[in-house]
Amino acid sequence: MNQKPRFGLYALVTLSVVISFFPIVWLILTSFKNTAGIYAWPPQYWPDPFTLENYISIFTNSPELLRYILNSFIVGVGTTAITLLLGGLSAYALSRLGMRFAGVLMVGILAVSMFPPVSLLPSLFQNFLNFGLLNTYTGLILAHAGLFLPFTVWMLASYFATLPVEIEEAARMDGMGFLRIFLTIVLPLSWPGFVATGLIVFIFSWNEFPLALVLMTQNAMRTAPVGISLYPGEYAFPWETISTATVLAIIPVLVITAIFQKQIVGGLTAGAGK
Amino acid sequence: MASVTLNQIGKAYGAVTAVEQFDLEIADGEFLVLLGPSGCGKSTTLRMIAGLESITHGDLMIGGKRVNDIDPKDRGVAMVFQNYALYPHKSVFDNMAMALKLQKMPKAEIAERVNGVADMLGLTPYLERKPAALSGGQRQRVAIGRAIVRTPEVFLFDEPLSNLDAKLRVKMRMELQELHGRMGVTSIYVTHDQVEAMTLADRIVILNGGKVAQIGTPREVYDHPATEFVAGFIGSPAMNFMSGRRTGDHWQIIDSDLVLHATERLQSTDPALTLGVRPEHLEVFAPEDAPEGPWVFDAKVKLAELLGADALLNLSVMGQPMLARVGGTDFPLAGQSVRVRIDPARLHAFHPKTGLSIHSEAKQ
Ligand SMILES: Nc1ncnc2c1ncn2[C@@H]1O[C@H](COP(=O)(O)OP(=O)(O)OP(=O)(O)O)[C@@H](O)[C@H]1O
Ligand SMILES: [Mg+2]
Repeated sequence: MNQKPRFGLYALVTLSVVISFFPIVWLILTSFKNTAGIYAWPPQYWPDPFTLENYISIFTNSPELLRYILNSFIVGVGTTAITLLLGGLSAYALSRLGMRFAGVLMVGILAVSMFPPVSLLPSLFQNFLNFGLLNTYTGLILAHAGLFLPFTVWMLASYFATLPVEIEEAARMDGMGFLRIFLTIVLPLSWPGFVATGLIVFIFSWNEFPLALVLMTQNAMRTAPVGISLYPGEYAFPWETISTATVLAIIPVLVITAIFQKQIVGGLTAGAGK
Repeated sequence: MASVTLNQIGKAYGAVTAVEQFDLEIADGEFLVLLGPSGCGKSTTLRMIAGLESITHGDLMIGGKRVNDIDPKDRGVAMVFQNYALYPHKSVFDNMAMALKLQKMPKAEIAERVNGVADMLGLTPYLERKPAALSGGQRQRVAIGRAIVRTPEVFLFDEPLSNLDAKLRVKMRMELQELHGRMGVTSIYVTHDQVEAMTLADRIVILNGGKVAQIGTPREVYDHPATEFVAGFIGSPAMNFMSGRRTGDHWQIIDSDLVLHATERLQSTDPALTLGVRPEHLEVFAPEDAPEGPWVFDAKVKLAELLGADALLNLSVMGQPMLARVGGTDFPLAGQSVRVRIDPARLHAFHPKTGLSIHSEAKQ
């Protein structure tokens, strides 16, 4: 009907896409340039020569970069699994068991997550040192799980609130207990909520920097963001290696997001309608 | 099968009383309907019987056994929910079989029972489908089937038909009636639809604001409403009410020229009464055909509406507005003068303050 506002909308969308994608595109292009191309002036837009050198050299010369990505993956998967399990159970208990102080607890959980993680670092470090958790996957997974649990509980509790409670009551009348209702009824019905929440937690964990920096001090245990940013160059900053490693580090997240894209959008808007 | 006894059962949410304590004895095989407007505590009462809501006061007995602290699944009750509450991710068969599976019944026996009930309800072609692929009526049948399969002692229904369209509702109502006739299982049925209540019930419990207003057969609550609320709630269109003031041995209807003789039925020590008469208990005559008598009054037709078989007349009976229900053929039109006969035996009278019927003391 009215063309003008539509045009404005498209322009805005295009602008925001360009702005948010520019660094990523630049990163990807850089990973295909050689050293001369990276430092060329005026800047080179299209890699010339277009080279796969950097990728080959990462696999042959800097396998530790691949190790970082593997570490990130292990920590991310572990964190996601633990937060979904614990967060799912607590969110269900808080939203459905009719506990007296459920509302107060929910606000309390939110309040705890207001602390900046950096302020927890000294005491966390000391305790992890005492328990021998420094430089272990278990340690960082626990730290990340603690960090992201409040978010998980809130996301899942608001998802459970959208499920009709009568289905669970019918299950109770049929003879199911709390855990069985959760596993066989609630879990399958809130699958999109779990996928969306899990994905966000995975990405948070993948990108988390301060805790990963302090709790994983051995080179072999570093996660991708930390390892890549600390990657040493001999004479100059090795842009080509770093950009290539970063591209490789983004790929797993992109692939997972693409697979679950439908559920994320469904999950994030599930509370909105009906 | 079992009887259900509510012994001073009541429910409070903190300081809020949802259901005031009351007694009720439901006989084995009885079809009892809980009827009342929204928020009157029908669902709360049913859910206490189901075990989904804790009981604040009193004892609940099913089959002579106190079940206050017993799990819903062990009470021998099965419930049909308003929004069906089927398991969306399970097939119709699995929905119906769930309770039996949880009881660890052998597979062959489960299949036999579920197939039998599905056959009875005409659900056999849909057993493999998910609930989303069924119509509203079919879903409600699955919900009923799920309850039947368990062979409970007591059926509980919470407005099971209110999500269906009018035609289907009538059909399902008759099916439920037939089902009850065949199985004879004690049933407790919540509705705010008086037609459902009148047609299905052996006895009706009418609730208002968390309080029991009357317990009686459909006939009793229609013929002898115990309170003004019941009188207005049962019957459609609703009863005509008017305020009367005593003048000698007459009741002067306020703001009109209508004067009613204080017959034996209308004796009261109150200086004022609320009088009521149902639209179907007014007879309307053309002036020339009208009989003579103390209960025949002049009236004017304000509005005439044809409903089909019947017509509704908005009357002014000597200045008092009243609605009359008359035959749908040959009825007077708006603006015409008529004569109206009130059946004195069908007049109801209520204390204006308490709303209690002046007849009910004698009746109960
Ligand atoms: N959890 C609760 N906390 C406080 N009050 C409640 C709660 N649940 C119900 N009530 C109150 O109890 C009263 C009875 O509710 P109930 O659900 O039994 O009504 P109903 O007769 O079934 O109405 P409807 O026809 O709308 O379903 C209502 O006034 C309601 O506000
Ligand atoms: Mg209700």
